[in-house]
Parts: sequence; C-alpha cells; structure tokens
Amino acid sequence: MTTNNKVNSIVQSCRVILKMATPGSLPKSDILYYQMLSKYYTKLLKAKENGNFVAAHTVFFPAEILYAMDIVPMHTEMTTWLVALFLGEQAELLSAGAELGLAAEICSPHRGLAGAFLRGYLPRPDVMLWSNLICDNTAKSGELVMKLNNCPGYFVDHPFQHSKAEVSYLVNELKGMIRFLEEHSGHKMNWDKLAETVARSNQQLALTREINELRKLVPSPFPTQGFLKLLSADYLFPGQPEAIEYLTQLRDELKNNASENKTAGKTEKYRLMTLFLPPIYLMSYLDKLYQEYGAVSVVEPMFNSRAEAEFDPSQPLKSVAEKSYLIPESRVMYGPLTDEVVKYVVDSATDYKVNGALFWAFLGCRHACATIKIFKDALNAADIPMLAVDCDIVDPTINPREEIGEKLGQYFELLEGL
Amino acid sequence: MTVSTETSMINLPALEYFRSVNSTFPKNQEILDFKEKGKKVFGWLCTYVPEEVIIAAGALPVRITGYGRETDLADGNAYLYINNCSFSRSCLQRGLRGDYSFLDGVVGGSTCDGARRLFDAWRRYINTPFYQVLTVPRKTTDEAQALYLDQVISFKQNLEEFLGLQITETALLQAIEVCNETRDLLKKLYELRKRPEPPINGAQTLEVLTASFRMPKVNFNQKLKILLNELEHSKVVYNGRARLMVVGSVLDNPEFIKLIEETGGLVVTDELCTSTRYWSDPVIIQEGESAISAIARRYLTNFPCARMYPSEERFDRILALCRDFRVDGVLSQIIRYCVPYAHDFPLLNDKLKTAGIPVLDLDVEYGTSGSGQIRTRVQAFLEMMEAKK
Amino acid sequence: MITAIGVDIGSLTTKSVVLNETKIISTAVIRSSDETELCARTTIEQALQQIGLSFNPDIKVIATGLGSKSVTFSQSKSLTACLARGVNSIYPTARMAIDMGAESSTIIKLNERGRLTDWLSQDKCAAGTGVFLEQMAKLMNLTSAEMDALSFKAKFPPEITNTCAVFAESEVISHVHRVPATLREDIAAGIYRSVLGRIISMCKRIGIQREVVATGGVAMNKGIIAILNQELGFDILVPDNPQIVAALGAAIIAREATTGAKM
Repeated sequence: MTTNNKVNSIVQSCRVILKMATPGSLPKSDILYYQMLSKYYTKLLKAKENGNFVAAHTVFFPAEILYAMDIVPMHTEMTTWLVALFLGEQAELLSAGAELGLAAEICSPHRGLAGAFLRGYLPRPDVMLWSNLICDNTAKSGELVMKLNNCPGYFVDHPFQHSKAEVSYLVNELKGMIRFLEEHSGHKMNWDKLAETVARSNQQLALTREINELRKLVPSPFPTQGFLKLLSADYLFPGQPEAIEYLTQLRDELKNNASENKTAGKTEKYRLMTLFLPPIYLMSYLDKLYQEYGAVSVVEPMFNSRAEAEFDPSQPLKSVAEKSYLIPESRVMYGPLTDEVVKYVVDSATDYKVNGALFWAFLGCRHACATIKIFKDALNAADIPMLAVDCDIVDPTINPREEIGEKLGQYFELLEGL
Repeated sequence: MTVSTETSMINLPALEYFRSVNSTFPKNQEILDFKEKGKKVFGWLCTYVPEEVIIAAGALPVRITGYGRETDLADGNAYLYINNCSFSRSCLQRGLRGDYSFLDGVVGGSTCDGARRLFDAWRRYINTPFYQVLTVPRKTTDEAQALYLDQVISFKQNLEEFLGLQITETALLQAIEVCNETRDLLKKLYELRKRPEPPINGAQTLEVLTASFRMPKVNFNQKLKILLNELEHSKVVYNGRARLMVVGSVLDNPEFIKLIEETGGLVVTDELCTSTRYWSDPVIIQEGESAISAIARRYLTNFPCARMYPSEERFDRILALCRDFRVDGVLSQIIRYCVPYAHDFPLLNDKLKTAGIPVLDLDVEYGTSGSGQIRTRVQAFLEMMEAKK
Repeated sequence: MITAIGVDIGSLTTKSVVLNETKIISTAVIRSSDETELCARTTIEQALQQIGLSFNPDIKVIATGLGSKSVTFSQSKSLTACLARGVNSIYPTARMAIDMGAESSTIIKLNERGRLTDWLSQDKCAAGTGVFLEQMAKLMNLTSAEMDALSFKAKFPPEITNTCAVFAESEVISHVHRVPATLREDIAAGIYRSVLGRIISMCKRIGIQREVVATGGVAMNKGIIAILNQELGFDILVPDNPQIVAALGAAIIAREATTGAKM
C-alpha cells in the first residue's frame, strides 16, 4: 500500500488556518473546532507509531464504542469530504473510484472513499466497520474497502423500523461487533467508560438543542456554514470531552451574540431552511453569496438534532442503539417517511420563521431526492416555497457554481417578490 | 441461438397461455376471475415478501412490476426524482396511473432505497386500502431470522385484522404445499435447460416465470405441468454459440432475453429475482416447527439479493449455477442507479474472472427490450468467447 | 405620458414593450446580436420611433433575459419574475405558464398577484426549443410556419426520442429518407409530440395548476398549442402576442418603480 497519506494535509490545513488567523478574527469556538479536527487526524496519523488500533467506519456509526475501547476511529466519508475540501482533489479520488469499476451513479463520497483507499490517501485501517445506515451505498461499501486494505471487517445490520424487537436486534449486532473488536484489537470494552460517554452524550444533545434553539431568534446569531462544524463535532467526537468543550464554547458565544444582537451576516433578509446538505466544496462560495443577499440558513431538519431525549448510562448499548434511531439523519432522512416526519419538517419551517426552503438535490443520493416532492407539496401547502438545486456534494463538475449561484439569485428574487 | 427444427413447428399452447397472462396484465383473465369471486388481491414487491401468508388468507399475491417497455415516466419522475432507478419509477407510474387500482393491499420489504421510497410515495399518493412494509434484515443469522419471523407474524396478524379472518396453521401448510409445488415444477423446467440442446430458451422461460406471479399458483402449477408435458413431446430444441447466464437487476421483459438470443447465444440460467432467485429454495418444515417459522426462514435465507450480507453467498451460488449449467459467459445487466448490484459488480467480476468465466457488463434501463448497441456488444462478447475456444 | 419600458433580451430575438399609465402603447421585436447593450437600445428605440418618440434616459427601463445584467441604462430582473408579472396582467386567473423560447423552456407558477412562486427550467438540452424546431423544419425543406400548418394533417405521427437533440435529428433524417418516406405532416406532429413530452414532464414535476398560459416564440405555433391541449386534457390560454410577455412584465415592474404603486 502506497503511503500517499493525505490525512496529513488536513492537519496542516488546520494548523495554517489557526496560525494565519489574526488575533480576534476567529471566534474561540472556531479555534476549538480546528484544534479538535487537528487532534483527530493527528491521532490517526500517529496511530501506527503509537501502536494504536485503527477502525475505519461509515457515517452515523456509534464511534462511542470505539472510544470506550481505546480504538482510534477513522470516519471514512467525513475524511473524504475534508480531503475534497482542503485539497480540492475530488477528481483524482473519483477517477480512482471509477478505476475500481464503481458505476458513476454510485454516490460520490462512496466512490471517493474507495478511491482514497486505492490511492493510499487514507491510512490503512486495522478493521473496517460499517452499517446500512444510511443507505444502500453505505451498506455495500464495506466489503470493497476490506478487500482494498486486506483487513477484516464487521457489518452492523441496522433494522429499518424503530420497534422494541428491532432495537434489541441492533443491540445484539453491536455486541457482536464488540466481540469482533476485542478479538482483533486485543482491547477489552471498558463499560464504565462507555457509560460515561453516554452520560456525556446527554450533555451533548442538550447543548446541541440549546444551540439550535438560539437559531430561532430573529436575527439568527449563528453563521450558516457553522452547521457543518456542529455536525462534525458529533460525527468525530460523539460523547467525548472535546465535543462538549467545543459545544459549550459555541453555545456561550451564541448566547452572547444574541444578547448583543449581533447577526451572523450583514443583514438578515432571507431565513432559509436547508434540506439535505449543500455541496461541501462550495462552502465558502455559498457563505459569500448568502452574505451578499442577506440570506442565512437557520434550520436543517435532516441533519441537525433538536431531539428531546435522555439516555440511560446504565444501559449504554441500548442508549447507543436508540441514539442511532433518534438522529435526524436516520429519523427524517432515512425513513420510513411517516406523516409525523413530514409534519416535523413543516413545523421546523414555521418554528424557525423561514421565508423559504432550499433542497440540495444531491444526485448521488436516491433516497433523499425521493423526498423532494413530498416535502415540497407539504411546504407549499403551508405557503413556504421550496427550491430544489441539482448538485453533487463533492464533485464540482456536475453543476457549475455559476449556475447554482444564478438559481439561488433567482430564488432570492422570488422570495423578495412574495 | 438456433432452433433445430422449423419454427413453425413450435407448438406449446401452455406457453401461449402464459404469454397472454402477461400481455394482458394487470387485467388478465386470471386476476379478473379471481376478483369476480369477491376475493382480495395483494400486490407485493421483492422476494422477501412471503406469498404463502397471502395465499393462506385466501387472497391472491400479485407481483408489482412496471411497464414492459421503456416509456415516458413523467409522473414517476416527479415523485421519485430522476435519480431513483427506472424500476421504482416505472412501478410508481403504473400505480399513479391507476393500473393497480384493483389491489386491496400492497406489501413490501425495506429491501433497497428505491423500493422503500417507492412505498413511501405509494402510501401518500395512491389509495390502496392495506399497506405494510416489512423490515428485512441484511443478515441471515439466528437473530436476524428471529427478527424477520417477528415481522412476518405481524404481517399475518395485520392481514387477519384487515380481512376479518384467521389464518390457520392448516391454511399456511396448504399454501406452502402449493408454492413448493410451483418451485419444484420450475426447478424441473430449469433442469431441461441443463441439456446441451434444451427444448426451451431463455426468453420463453422468462415468459413462464413472469406469469407465475400474475395468476393463482394453483392454476399456474396446472398449466406448467401441461407445458412440461408439451416440452417432453416437442421436437424443437435450441442451441447456441455459447451458453449464457444473465445476472443483475430486476428483469421481467422477455423481449430483452429474446434480443440477446437473436445474436446466437443461448440463455440457460440466471440469478434474477424474477427467475431463479424467485423459486430457488423450497420451504422446509423442521421437526416441531410451525408453518410460519418455516416460511420466514425460507424467505430470509433464500438465494440472496445483492442487498444481503455477506455478498460471498450470492457469488458462490452464482458460481455453482455456472458449473451446473455449464455456463460459458455471464451477462450482467444492471439498471442505472441500482446501487446494491452496482457495488457488487467489481467483486463479482473478479470472482468470475478467477473462475475463468468472461463477463459482459451492460448498463440498462428497466423495461428495455434492448437496443442496437446492446446487440452489438453481445455479438462482440460471443465472438470474443469463440476466439478463446 | 410614457411611464416605463421593458426589454427582454433573448438568444434569438430581443423584445421591447412601452407602457403608459394604463396600457401598452408600443412593442418591437428584432433579431438579437452579440452586442447586448446596443441590441437592447435598438429595440427600445424602434418601439419608440413607431409612436414618434425617442429614447430618454430618464425613463425607467427594466431589462430581462440573457446578458440583461450588463445593460447599463437599466436594472435587471429575472426572466421568471417578469414572465409572472406579464402573464398575470393579461390573465389574472393564470397560475402557471409554459414559456417556450428559442433556446430554453421554462415553466413558472405564479400567485394571484403575479408573483413568482416556483419555476423549472430546461436549458441544458436543445431538444424542445425554437432553434431545434427551426432546424427540424429545414430538414424537411419547410419553414417553421409551414411545418406548423402541416402538423394538423398528421394521421400517424411516429415516436421520436426526446432525450437527445442529436438522436432526434438523426431519427428525423431517417424518416425523411425512408423508402417510402414518412409523410412530412406525420414527422411534424411527431417532432411536436417529442418536444412537448419534455414540457409535460416538467409540468408534472412542478405540479399542474390552472389556468395555464403559453408564452414565448414557440407558442405562436398553433400546431404545438393544439397538441399541448390534447396532452393536458384542457385548453391552455395563449396571448395574442406570446413573444412579448416577459418584456411586458419587465415594463410593469419598471412602471411600479416609477409610480411607486405596487399591485
């Protein structure tokens, strides 16, 4: 396996961002964020040297379990996104994916991560862990990664519906995974540590809830693209002290912004609800565009947890299992698409006083796009217009940014007219 | 593929009957007759929905399929967006157009993204009285079987409530018998294709298979027995430049197989959910086991779809079929956006290559009857195989 | 007396509309050129000349369409917003419009105040547009108008692909050269059906809501409208001058800006 390890670039980019920031230009929460990111990837880089055990895993995976076993996690999709973001090397990764024989219609982050392993951009993991949360692509990505890295793997079968029997089954799957990890890593599960993590998850949920509650304010004290940082905290450090520290700082800053009536941009003309995710590689472009039009995204029902929940640390595995059903990526985006879920989306729009909704129609994500008409109809019935923008979250060749910009411009004009 | 006797001598009335069941679907006489008796019809999607339960309830299970051709799917596209597979869009289009208005219920499995979104849209926009989606685990471990059994039992209970009757053990056992007979007869049909010169070709076989889920099994079994008898006495045989196996996404259009066979290859077997995977394993009742438990076990552990884990099992079974049917080459036809099959392809391709079996990779849309381009590629594939001999 | 001017810069033609306080007093349509600014100005001047007036930089102008942002003497508004206002002024009960232009088609939805509520554009593919239709007519040695008239005589229109303009063109060529050749009236109707197939797809995606209005140069073809009515199952409304609707909407917006009156 070649050592083209690009993970270092993420660490370097973080260092550069922190170094180049003039004092006071970056809020403390951003500083914590980049430090957090840097820490995660440094740990990954030094894993072999430190004799640590690395487990690669897919999205919405209970990484809490890995932390409790002193195993170094590698979030495959997130890392692919970040490599795309910091290095702009999507084309290389996607062409590597094609080389492997993966069809172009397969979601780009998944083609990209397979390509990343092929090219050695990502360090070779000791094991590959994956589940079918959140789609067929995720469910089918593990075996190829195992083959590419010649490493063992474990598939966690996440049942579709949320019933007692299904949660039991999932807990059993997690137990199976723990046994597998104990066998391969030589580490034992530290149940106390896991219980602590669950307790901290409660805190994390509460903080996230608070932060999202603050975004209801008009004007919103939270910058649009900040929500990706919010997500990464949960994806990379679920129930970990680093995430708590970051979220606490962020919450305090927002509270402060709110009380001093500071807005995220110059003016807040259009409050938007974002469905699915905007293209990762367009983040800074969108930031500027939104600022230009006075737009801000205040709620993302498919991605941002506002859940009211309390997990029981004394039943850590059950709690972790329940959490995987609770997160909006699972409940709202994955399915089943119940009336309750549709209502939640419409209510999110009204609770957050949005002017319009924006659905980023990521063409690699079949099941997300299948909700477009359903949500649009429901939102239109509540007099909230919705725009669907065809795009790809990592591949910039699918829809040129100028076209996206133009479409958004037209949409803002539409909102103005209403 | 060539026919070793005059085509005009092909005399298989039973096959013609199956053709008419298909060409007049969904308003074929079998279904109309059934409904006329005041009985109920349930549409199902996916080989993970246990037909026996529906039959035991005195109802008719009918497989939901889309159009038998590539066609305008404007309504399906509007609801499922352009990036869901054409199969799900075609099925939804038919549903939205009222083609399935005769159904009393729809049942599906949480099998793949396209299927489950099809059901989400169906539930909201099409008014079928009964609706259920079964959670289908991706594994076949004991725990997975227990979970799936749970789902099947809940389906049975919901059906009982909806129909206002009890589904008895006896009824289930009778249903198992009928379905097992179907499987057994289809197995016999496929055995004929193991011959160096089978009396039936791939296109005809698919015609038989698609009829099997569009009419009451009891009637189907009767007709298939007649067909097997007709084939026994038929002087017509088929042979080809190569013995081919078709694998991949859901395929129910015999025209597509016909196009392939017109190039000279003979399709002798497949791994399709509309064919081999549909009948592959019988329901076997173990000592002291309830009918429903046996049914659930069979359906979950049956010849797996690409959605199942580990994929090795599917690959192994495909290889076994290649051996049993002496397959020269494999035709993989994958519908655009059919994710599970697309992901499996590189791994399957490798496996087959290692076993010395060439593979042709075809991108298709559901309902396609093939095109000049596909014909050309199949020709080239056959030529390549012949050159290697 | 004059209060406002609207100009729609299209890929094939540029249109201008001059309004007074209450109605349209002049319109002009000229062939577009690469010089957007000059083109816009020329169209406006022509419309003004027709009523014996000349361009006055103090008059409020709104430009829309391609390159409208670069016109220095006017403000720019999106085509969809202008279409919505224009359609609403002619047909207050309209809730949807199908705009078929030279190089793109757009479906818009509007509310009772003529405000845009939704839109869907098809501009990535040539199939289904005015330029495409002109090319197809040429293949049969006809003008667009002749093709339009012929289409009514069709008895057996063939299916022509609507997924790709290049394929469609080759299909039409093969129909023309077939022995015996497919009748031109049938080909014409086949082409129209193919083009409208895409339009109907877009309508279904956005959700059909009556009344529906047809706008744009292509809407001047009676044959197209006849088939559209057939496919939709009801009659769509067609303005006397479908080509100038966006320019009209632009002018209305300009007039509002001048008078401050908002409807």
